[in-house]
Parts: sequence; structure tokens; C-alpha cells
Amino acid sequence: MATTRREFLSMVGGAAAAAGVVAAPAGARAQAKKGVPADPVKIGVMAIRAGIAAPVGAAGLRGTEWWADRINKAGGILGRKVQLVVEEESTPKDTVERYRKLILQDKVEVVLGGISTGVTLALAPVAEDLATPWLSWDGTTQKGVDETMPKPRWSFRSVDNEVEAIVAGQLTPKYFKGIKTVAGIGNDYSYGHDCWQTYQAVLKRYIPDVKFVLELFPKLGVTDFTSHIAAIQQSKADLLMCSFWSGDATIIMKQAAAVGLFKTMKGVFTTAGGVHDSLKKEFTPDGLLLGYNSMYFDDPRGSALLKQFVREYKAKYDEYPPYECDHAYFCAESYKAGVEKAYAAAGQWPSKEQVVKALEGIEVESLSGRRSWREDHIQMCSFYQGVTTHKNSYDFVTIDPVEVVSTKQSMKPAGSKLMEWIAGWKI
Amino acid sequence: MSGRLILGLALAGLLVLPFVLSPYRLILMLPFMAYGVILLGLNLLFAYAGLVSFGHALFVGVGAYTGAFLGAHAGIRSIEVVVLVAAILGAVVAALVGLLCVRYVKIYFGMLTLAFGMVFYTFVLKFYRITGGDEGMPVPRPLLLGLDLDAMPKTDYLIGPYYYYCLGVLVVAAAVMWRIVHSPFGLCLRTIRDNPTKAEALGVSVTRYRWYAFVISGVFGAVGGALLGPPIGNVDPTLVYWTHSGSLVFMALLGGFAHFFGPVLGAFVFIFLQDAVMSVVPYWRLVFGAILAAIVIFAPGGLMGLFARRRAPVEVARP
Amino acid sequence: MTANLVNVLMSGVFHAAILFLVSAGLQLVFGVQKIFNLACGSFYALGAYVGVSAVSAFVSAGGAPVLFILPLAVAGLAVGAVGLVVERGLLRFVYDRDETFQLLLTFALVLMMEDAIRLTWGTAPQSTSGYYLLYGQARVLGAVMPVYNLIVIAASVLIAAGLGLMLTRTAFGRIIRAAADNREMAEALGVDMRGIYARVFTLGTALGTLGGALVIPATAAMSEMGIELIVEAFAVVVIGGLGSMRGALVGALVVGVLRAVAISVYPEIEMLLIYLIVIAVLLLRPRGLFGGAAA
Repeated sequence: MATTRREFLSMVGGAAAAAGVVAAPAGARAQAKKGVPADPVKIGVMAIRAGIAAPVGAAGLRGTEWWADRINKAGGILGRKVQLVVEEESTPKDTVERYRKLILQDKVEVVLGGISTGVTLALAPVAEDLATPWLSWDGTTQKGVDETMPKPRWSFRSVDNEVEAIVAGQLTPKYFKGIKTVAGIGNDYSYGHDCWQTYQAVLKRYIPDVKFVLELFPKLGVTDFTSHIAAIQQSKADLLMCSFWSGDATIIMKQAAAVGLFKTMKGVFTTAGGVHDSLKKEFTPDGLLLGYNSMYFDDPRGSALLKQFVREYKAKYDEYPPYECDHAYFCAESYKAGVEKAYAAAGQWPSKEQVVKALEGIEVESLSGRRSWREDHIQMCSFYQGVTTHKNSYDFVTIDPVEVVSTKQSMKPAGSKLMEWIAGWKI
Repeated sequence: MSGRLILGLALAGLLVLPFVLSPYRLILMLPFMAYGVILLGLNLLFAYAGLVSFGHALFVGVGAYTGAFLGAHAGIRSIEVVVLVAAILGAVVAALVGLLCVRYVKIYFGMLTLAFGMVFYTFVLKFYRITGGDEGMPVPRPLLLGLDLDAMPKTDYLIGPYYYYCLGVLVVAAAVMWRIVHSPFGLCLRTIRDNPTKAEALGVSVTRYRWYAFVISGVFGAVGGALLGPPIGNVDPTLVYWTHSGSLVFMALLGGFAHFFGPVLGAFVFIFLQDAVMSVVPYWRLVFGAILAAIVIFAPGGLMGLFARRRAPVEVARP
Repeated sequence: MTANLVNVLMSGVFHAAILFLVSAGLQLVFGVQKIFNLACGSFYALGAYVGVSAVSAFVSAGGAPVLFILPLAVAGLAVGAVGLVVERGLLRFVYDRDETFQLLLTFALVLMMEDAIRLTWGTAPQSTSGYYLLYGQARVLGAVMPVYNLIVIAASVLIAAGLGLMLTRTAFGRIIRAAADNREMAEALGVDMRGIYARVFTLGTALGTLGGALVIPATAAMSEMGIELIVEAFAVVVIGGLGSMRGALVGALVVGVLRAVAISVYPEIEMLLIYLIVIAVLLLRPRGLFGGAAA
């Protein structure tokens, strides 16, 4: 759904809005560089606003707004203020229409966002056609890489989303001994299916005679898993692998606790870090493997930037930021870096092509540390997973120890096929 | 102003639009035209046969997914083939479903159609391996009249050749439906709607004629559905959800189902009003719900009911 | 083995308990007013959101969390008053119209309420966090289940019994049944139909809102929960028979338990099975198990 300028102002609050919308005040204009337009640079943002994944979308949007706020306080990109134009990511059909509107009607220079795989799959060809860079936060699965977009020109896509399943598959035998049977539950679309397939392939490399006794794929948006949990209990698996990444992770955790599922079963939640602070201690046991994708808010080795972000996020929203914030920040920050790099070469505000060229291979300081875009337009980052613990000062679980695995090790190299690459590992 | 003149002006306007309207708005015209075709079919059921289907999105889905399947599994991108196959499939599905549904009227008909619609939705949703599940399937750019226009940027393709193609289909569909409605068959339908007992007495088989109407509406629905896929490039199960069926009926009512072109007008107003409202406030459903309520309570004749003069091209449908 | 069976069955029964409440509301309204209220799912959603807010307010105001079910249930029931507003303000204008229009009006209501809820509570899912677990667990035939579920099931049964008593023993109940049977006759006998309609619709709404409130601790309140539920409620009333309370009870059990069993055995077919049964019922026995005369 569209947000008018008025709406956006009320959402973001004073500072960022005033900086973004109002034309740059005299002082800032004096800073504007040669060949740089004086009007603000419009950046389109697509965020999920409704439904079970709303918290994840909100996190991405907040991360982007925080970035925009910071940038504008420092004078903008090359002296040009940043103006965010926000549209809602909902169904593939509606999001494609909103995306077209952003580019054709609102004339944004770049679009940031996109979380759900179904949406990003539908958007990719449209993005290529509209010749505007699109930096996607999330959503890439093998289907997107292999089938629909082997060589994207304008689209920059997230990390292969199966990486969280790969890392989880590598860590499972390290932390859980004696696993013989495994059950899996994931959302009923390519992300859920691909994660399960990937997890199985990886686990089989480490535990060759492991058996997969049950797989369930409820649709994204289901809120009642009591029957699914009953089926899982019935399967008597040693371990449950769950790839839920939004509000349903919290719900299934709650419903599982209600019947004591994890008293007798191990649990691996590859991506539930997306809603991490809703996993309250009352119903989330310790001893589960939990994944935070690219950012862990409580990282003991976190940078000053991360600590500042966490502090300010908590102060403003009374919540702790999940990893989607980092994807969003990275996309925005890398865009800025790309523009600056292309400007240095071109001597004036770069064209969209020039920005795209500059983005390939670029590395920036994100909330979680240094991150980059690989040459083939895929994000690089580190993945954080660990074992849940109650030993902290929050009312929700955190992880200890924290395993950090770079995509250099856990993501298939450009041009290779996922299953072949996994089959070729030296264990 | 005579109806013919208005019609002529509207057509001329549609022909000229690509030179006048912005690309974004032009792309909005495409679903309008697809919905126009779909609604012509729906209205045959609604206004002329007196049956309200709450599962019409089923046929839209059949048509849309036909395009996706043919493209993905058979490499067929010719829109003529897609439309033809969609029409046939629509007819077959409508024939089967209709056999079961047309014995009932009113609320039971509505419920049966809703149930069938949701069966198809569940099928399309759950059989992920075949249909892509929640994400849906991509729809490749169609070949128009056998011409491969892949070299054109998609946007230019959509606002140029594809626009005129859809307009052509809409005009043809409207002409065909006009003939149907003004034929003895159409008259029979209206008789059945107004007084089924009398119709039976006159030797008109009520269920048989309703069935014919159902099949025809299914064909139109599938053809329109086939046109809906390409602009987005993707079809997904939400196309078949019951609320989409509800929106179709809403459009028909909005435009005024008593008039032949009412529903087409309804589609136009719905799409552009939705876009206009969404630009200002995200709560378009609130606005639209209020509009629907207002129409139902104060203006059941819809927009055409407000504009139309005494002369009705077809008698006012009941009630 | 039995433990598993019990688990599956009880999860189905819990779902059925909620479905019953919503469907009973639907049946009541259809039986008397002959309107299929598509918005009953939306009332369910409303009850859910109000329930969450009520519990939050209660706990913030210092209420003991362990008593959360009280503000939840009370709020769920109380917000049923919205039904009166809807009936007097909207529905009564279409009583003399074709049922298509009545149906469409309820659809309009669905649209409006969805956005009204979004406007009021925003779009992020709302939940009562871990309160669901506050009442602990019980062992039933070897299976472990949350006591909260048992409380809801018991409440549903009580309400079903209460409704049954009301319909058979009280004057109001008799009038309702008479009006459902033959409206003209009832009116001729001096029944104030307007008043009856208002009360019936309000009661129907309250049952729906209560259902929504009671389910929320186990899950979360989310947009579109209303339009998802109405299809299940629809299946319940078709199977049970339009207008029949017993039908709502039996239909809810059928749908709830079958769904649970399907998920354990063959998850792909889950809802497909339910709809196929709906179609079969509509074709073979359109009045459902306990319904009145067919179309």
C-alpha cells in the first residue's frame, strides 16, 4: 500500500523526515558538490507491513530509516539529502505494481527491499526490465538464482537463503550428539522446501545414516500448529528442524512449550532470529540451536556502530533489532558507497548503470561488520548461530556460544550448483 | 446522447489512450481490460440468469495458470494458443462444476461455487511441486499473433502491442456477449430468472439453460484470466481466493449489473479508484467497503443505475 | 500410541471448540434472519485484538497475569455489542432485499472491518506472549496438553449447553425458534421482529468475538485471520446444516478433528479434504446433517 509523504513523516518522526523532504537548507547546499543535483535523491523502499511477517518488514524499514537519518545529519550522499519513498510489500502481484509505481511514477533512483521469496521471484524480471538498481534485503533461494535469474544486470540479491540451513546442518552434529532421526517443518514455498532439502543434504554428509522421518509445510500465515506438533511428537524424531523466520516461529515455540515438545526432542531453528526478542524465556527453552542470519544484536565482538544502533533502536522502539536491520542497512550503505565510488570516476552524479558497475564487489562497514556485494550481485556476510541460553538480563533467550561462519565458507561459490557443491565437500 | 455514440466515444478514447496516459496508468488499464472480459461472463450469470457466484475466481485462476503452465512446461508462448486452451479448460471445468451447481439457487448456489473455488485454491496452494504453491508460477511474455517481441523492453511491450491486443479481445468478447444476450437463448435466460416455473411450463429446461450460462461465463472468465497473467509476469493462488471472487461481484454491482456495460464500467472504476485511494491512504478497503455498503443500501443499480436514462438496452435485472 | 492419538484428537477438539463458537453465531443469525454473515470471521478477529488489548491493559494496571482469562473473556463478550451497532446501523436496511444483497453487505463489512482493525491496532501480530502456559499442563491418557486448552473446551461445551437450554427452555429461545421456522407467522402473532433481530445478531456477534478472544493466547492476532476463518466456519455450517445449533457442534467437531487427523496422516490434503466433504454434503444432502429445508 502506498504511503503518502504525510504518512511517511508521521511514521518516521521529526528528524529524518525534515531532513529528507525539505529542500536542503542553505548551509547544506553550499556543500553540494560539482555535478550533483541539489534536490534530494529518492530512494524507494519496499517493506512488508501486514501479516505474520510484519515484524520482519518493520525491522528492515527501521534499519533503513536509521541509516537515512544518520546520512542526512551528515549532509546526505555527496551533499544530496536522502528521501525515502516507502511502499508495501504484500502479494507478488500487488508488489510488482507498487514497484512499477516507484520507478515509473515516483521516479526513484534505486529500490531497496524485498523479503519474501515469492515476491522477489516475481520482481526480478520486472526489475531487470525497468533498468533501475534493486538491492534486495532477503528472499533469494536457488529457484531465484538458477531458474529465473542466472545473470542479473540490475538486481542485487541477498545471500542464498539456504545458507542458514547449511550452517545449521554443519553445527547440528557439533552440538547434538547421537541424532538418528530428524523431523522438519517449514513454510510451504521455495524457502521452506529449499532449506529442508539443503539441511538434509548437509546433515547426511556428517551423519550418513540419519533418517528423515517427517516433513511438514504449513502455509506462511498459519497460526495453529497444535496438530502439526502432535504429528511431530508422533514421529518420535530425535530432532526437529524448523525454518520459520517470522511471527510463526514464536507461535510454534509457544505451542510446543505447551506440550513440552523440546523436553524430549532437540530443536534447530535456522532463522528464528528474525523475531528473536519475541522468543520469551517462559516458553523458549535453552539448549536449542538458533540462527540470527547476518546480525546478532548482542555480539560480544560487535562494533561501536552496532552497539550504537542497538542502543538507539531499543530507546526508540523498546525492542531489540533483528538481523533484517543489518540487511537493510547494508543495502542502503552500499548504495551510498557505490554512488560515491562512481562519482569519483565520473566527476558528476552517476547514472544508474555507473552505480551498478560500482556496486559489484564493493565492501562497506555495516552494522554487523564488513560486508560486500559479490561480483555476481549476491550479498556476502557472516552468519551467526548458537545455542539458546537463559543466562542473560533480558526476558528472551540469547545464544552462547556464538558461532560466526562467513559466507565464504557456507555459501556456494558463484556459478556452482548447490547440491553438487555440498556433495563435493571434504568432511 | 445515444448509447451508441457514448460507446463509440469510449472506444475511440481507449484507442487513443496510449498516446495520452502515463506508462504507469496505462499498465493499470491492462487488468481493467482482463476484468472487463471476466465480468462480461460473470454478468451473464448474475444479471441474466440471476445466479450469484462466489467462486468465479476459479475460472480466472484456470485461465491464468494455463498461461503459466503452457509457458513453463510446454514452451508455448503464443497468446492465441494460451487463450484457446484456457477457453477450452474453462469450458470443461465449468461444465463439470456447473453440472453440480446449477441445480441450486440463491444461497446454496453461492455456497457451492465458493466451495469449488476454495477447492481449486487449496489444490493450487498445496501442490507446490506442480504449481509453485504460495509463490505461484512465472508467466512468460506472450507472442502476439505469432510475433516475437522480446526485443522490446517489457514496459513498452505492455503499453503498446499488448494493450491493443487486450483491447481487441475485450471488443470481441463484448460483441460475442452482446449477441448471446440478445439471442433467443438470452431471452430464455431472462425468462428463467424471472419466473422459473413458467419457463418450465413453456418447455424451457431451467437447469439446462443455467448450465449453458455457467459454461459460457466460465469461458469468459478463463480468457480474462489468461490476459491477467502477462503484465505481472506471475500468477499465484491469491488470484483464486474467495475474496477475489467477492471483488468480482463487487465490480459488477459497482458498475450496475442491470446494464450490459455496467460491470465493465465497474471494473474500470474499481481499479482506478483503488489506485487513487491507495496513493492517499493505505486503508482502501475501508473506503471500498463503505462504497459497497452504500451501493447495496442506496443504489443497487450501481453507477449505470445512476446515469442511465429510461431506455434500458436490456430490461432491468431483478432485483 | 494412545498418547499420540489423544494428542491429535485433542488438538482437533480445541480447534473445534473455537470453530463452534463462531459457527454457532453464524447459525443463529442465519436461522432467524436468513442472512449468511460473511463478517462473522471479522468479528472473530475483532474479539482477538480486543482480547489482547484487554489483557495488556489489565496486566499494566497491576492485574495478576494468572487471572488473564477473566479480562480476556469479558472483553471478548463485551465487544459483541458491536453487533448491535452493525445491525441497527447497516443490516436492517436490507432485510427486505434479495439475499444476494444481504450477502454483499456482509462482504462490505468484511472489507471495512479488516481495515478498521488495521487502523486501530496496526499491522504487526499481537499476542499475549507466554500467558498461554500460565495454567500449566495436564496429562490425559498419557498425552500432555496445556490446561488452557481444556479450559477453552470446557467453556465451549458449557456455552453450547447454555445455548441449547436457552433455545428450548426460555421464552426468548422459543421465539427465536418460531421466527426461524416461520417469520410471518411469528410476526402475525405479535412478535417484535425488529427487537428479535437486533438481539439475535448481537448474540451471534458476541459468540464470534468470544471465540476470537479465547483462541488468542494460543496463537497471535493477525490481519486476515478473519477471512481465513470464515471459510472453515462456512464448512462447519454446511456440514452441520444451515441454521442448526446441533449442526454447528457436530460440524465443528467434524472439521476440527478431520483437519487434525489429516495433518498427522497426509498433510497435503488438509483443507482440500474439508472442502471436498462440503461439496459432497451440498450435493448429496444439501440440508446438512441437521439442517432444515433445502433451497
